[in-house]
Amino acid sequence: MEVIYSLIPGMMAFGLFFVGVLVWAVKHGQYEDMEGNASRILLDDDEDALLHSDAPKNKKDGE
Amino acid sequence: MSEAVQSHLAHAGCFHCGQEIAPDADFHSQLDSAQRDFCCFACKSVCEAIYESGLQGYYQRTPQGTLLAPPPTPPKDVEMYDMDELQQDFVSCKGDARETHLLVEGIHCAACVWLIERGMMKVPGVSYANVNLAAKRLHLKWDNQQVKLSALIKKLATIGYSGVPYDPETAEGIVKKANRSMLYRLFFAGFAMTNMNLIAIALYGGADMGKFREFFEWMGWALATPTLLYSAYPFFKGAYSGLRNGRLTMDAPIALGLSVTYLYSVHVTLSPEAVGDVYWDTVSNLTFIILIGRYLEGLFRQQAVAATHRLMELQPRVATLLTEAGEKMVAVRNIVVGDRVLVKPGSKIPMDGVVREGHSSVDESLLSGESTPRTKSVGATVTAGTLNGSGALVVEVQASVQDSTLSKIVRLVEEAQSSKAPIQRVSDRIVPWFVLVTLVCAALTYFIWHDNFQLALMAATSVLIITCPCALGMATPMSIAVASGAGAKHGILVKNGAVLERLSKVTHFVFDKTGTLTVGKMKMEQMLVGAGQDQAALLSLAAAVERYSEHNVAHAVVNAAEEGKVAYRSQAVTGFHATPGAGVEAEVNGVRVVLGTLDWLTRNGIQPEVALREKSAELERHAKTCIHMAIAGEHRGVIVLADTLRADAQALVGALREAGIGMTLLSGDRQAVAEEIARQLGGMEVIAEVLPQDKDRVIQSLQQQGKVVAMVGDGVNDAPALIRADVGIALGSGTDVSVESADIVLMRNELDKVRQATLLSRRTLRTIKQNIGLSFVYNSIMVPLAMSAHVTPVVAAITMPISSLLVIGNAARIRNMFRKD
Repeated sequence: MEVIYSLIPGMMAFGLFFVGVLVWAVKHGQYEDMEGNASRILLDDDEDALLHSDAPKNKKDGE
Repeated sequence: MSEAVQSHLAHAGCFHCGQEIAPDADFHSQLDSAQRDFCCFACKSVCEAIYESGLQGYYQRTPQGTLLAPPPTPPKDVEMYDMDELQQDFVSCKGDARETHLLVEGIHCAACVWLIERGMMKVPGVSYANVNLAAKRLHLKWDNQQVKLSALIKKLATIGYSGVPYDPETAEGIVKKANRSMLYRLFFAGFAMTNMNLIAIALYGGADMGKFREFFEWMGWALATPTLLYSAYPFFKGAYSGLRNGRLTMDAPIALGLSVTYLYSVHVTLSPEAVGDVYWDTVSNLTFIILIGRYLEGLFRQQAVAATHRLMELQPRVATLLTEAGEKMVAVRNIVVGDRVLVKPGSKIPMDGVVREGHSSVDESLLSGESTPRTKSVGATVTAGTLNGSGALVVEVQASVQDSTLSKIVRLVEEAQSSKAPIQRVSDRIVPWFVLVTLVCAALTYFIWHDNFQLALMAATSVLIITCPCALGMATPMSIAVASGAGAKHGILVKNGAVLERLSKVTHFVFDKTGTLTVGKMKMEQMLVGAGQDQAALLSLAAAVERYSEHNVAHAVVNAAEEGKVAYRSQAVTGFHATPGAGVEAEVNGVRVVLGTLDWLTRNGIQPEVALREKSAELERHAKTCIHMAIAGEHRGVIVLADTLRADAQALVGALREAGIGMTLLSGDRQAVAEEIARQLGGMEVIAEVLPQDKDRVIQSLQQQGKVVAMVGDGVNDAPALIRADVGIALGSGTDVSVESADIVLMRNELDKVRQATLLSRRTLRTIKQNIGLSFVYNSIMVPLAMSAHVTPVVAAITMPISSLLVIGNAARIRNMFRKD
């Protein structure tokens, strides 16, 4: 069971790392707009394929 | 064509917004080799613009079956936003690289995000466009050499959205920062709590006997120290500032409990032999749970600040200054008293002043709550932020921006926010005594066992730890959290939890009239016709003329025709002319039709019919609005309009009266109208013709009489009163400002929700009291045990969670309340 001498501090370091990740995410506005980004990923770049399947595909305009 | 587009067409509504198309609307366009029908010109032109920019994919992305609103009216005079002196306020400039945020009206779903971002990125010079769907904002970066801000706002308007620039930093900056730091503290406490519980379970599970005991204790210490110093810092700060002012706040027992628990655990960890148990887990659990409540409170405060900000948005930023050299656009802050400004039709009045030239009707709902525009001619005073109607006005400025009525409302709101006494919660009143008793008990315990130092210390601290406000601290927040959740589910949004306790003690309700007790819209009640006249034919003629007018009364007449299924659109109307404050005239199928006040008819050389005149005079005494109608020079009929009561107003007022609660009707409208409404509701005190600052004062004077006042309102003019009142309740349909100012928002416009909210608050208060009672029972069992040094770790481990669970379980029962309804 001596393994816990390294496991528990390891677990804490791991946890602290995620606290850091959360703080980073909040600072960079990752939680500012939950709805918009959730939908945006589904809406991108496929409009031409949807509308005129025969038309040449226009890849990644804008952004 | 894809299926999505077909299904969009299937329900035969407007191709753009999906709303029903009136049978005689005539808006079509040939798009994508198919004819599309629209409900109005705005929808048609927006849709054509979308197709022109190749963004028709928008229609496939709109969730099926959603009814969009027709596009909002685009803002006027956007060129003013290009002025550098104006851009200082909301645009960050690095040479020609500009960046700003726009508040966008008309965003409703993710498809809009797509459309706006794509649409804006196609404009040459725009380097970044990002829509925040939750906040309905657009973040833009562009090159000022290639494109101007006004052009961008216009582009936004062509695809169906209206945008206004603003500066988010000044708006919410400080409060937001404070909330962020609270959030970080919460993160850390959460992390510490989860890890600590693993260690605690190991210790409870038997590790306290084995060789790892010391290791676990040291690990707990490592976690608890930063939790106490960093996450729990706000409690220590609060307790200290409370003590300095000579008050024991809720922070004091929390800080005391945390530090005693911590210090005792340090003592146990450092002692060479096993003298007791560590309570590191209590430190982190308590910190985390209480921090959640604090964080939510902070979020509500952020919204309150936004209220003041939205008010400032009503103040126009520029005005057209009239100089000898001609017209010139200048920023309002550069205008001095005595200057003359030109107010164009349909734009906002930029400054307080007196009309020197021109004649128009002005929508003053900002001040009076009344949606019916007031007529303004030479000599009349006008107020900044109100909306000019159809005529141009020349206004002599009489007050600087800082002294305008609008600024006064803003100041009132700020003052009310800062001077409103914090609500004394039930727990706040009990806690100081509780802390004192606990301290005395702990001291006594130490004294009883003082012969044996180890035992005395253990017993005394276990008194403090056992009674540490685990249950007591959670009694209030848990009940309020559950009540807020249950309320939100049923359309009652509680923004400030403490207000729930307060609402049950309200002894006096103040109601705004227009838009709150009444629907706020004119509606045709009846039509008086001269002998031998056909009512439907008259209404058809009236509606045919009135559809060209923007006036409220006109909308009511048109709506009445729609409801009565009277056809009116096919009538040929020519020579339409409106005189604000008097009436309208036009030729329908070659016959002259005059509609308006009796005075207006006389001015047009029409002899009023005696019977109609007498009847209408009688009705006007009862606060009805009468529109007289003349055809071919003869007085033929009277259309009677009135603002209608909300369907459930009667029931609410009746229920409140039965409960013995005082009521006041507060209105910016005329005394007669307000009294008529009060009469219909069975009578109540009426204070009419009041200005926003008077509303605030009425509430204050009621409070000085020792009454606990709740204010129910919906307009900008209600904002100071909503904040001043002990409980401010806003209707969801109200203006943004009133919604932001209120403590409780009713999402659906049902007045019955006011009654439900009151019931909810009573229930919540009862639960809070029960919970406090529960923790007292728990304490009265545990404290004697602790004092007699009988609390073993196992007893503590079992009883402490049980007391918390009881409190949480009891709070959860609040949700049952709505099941009965």
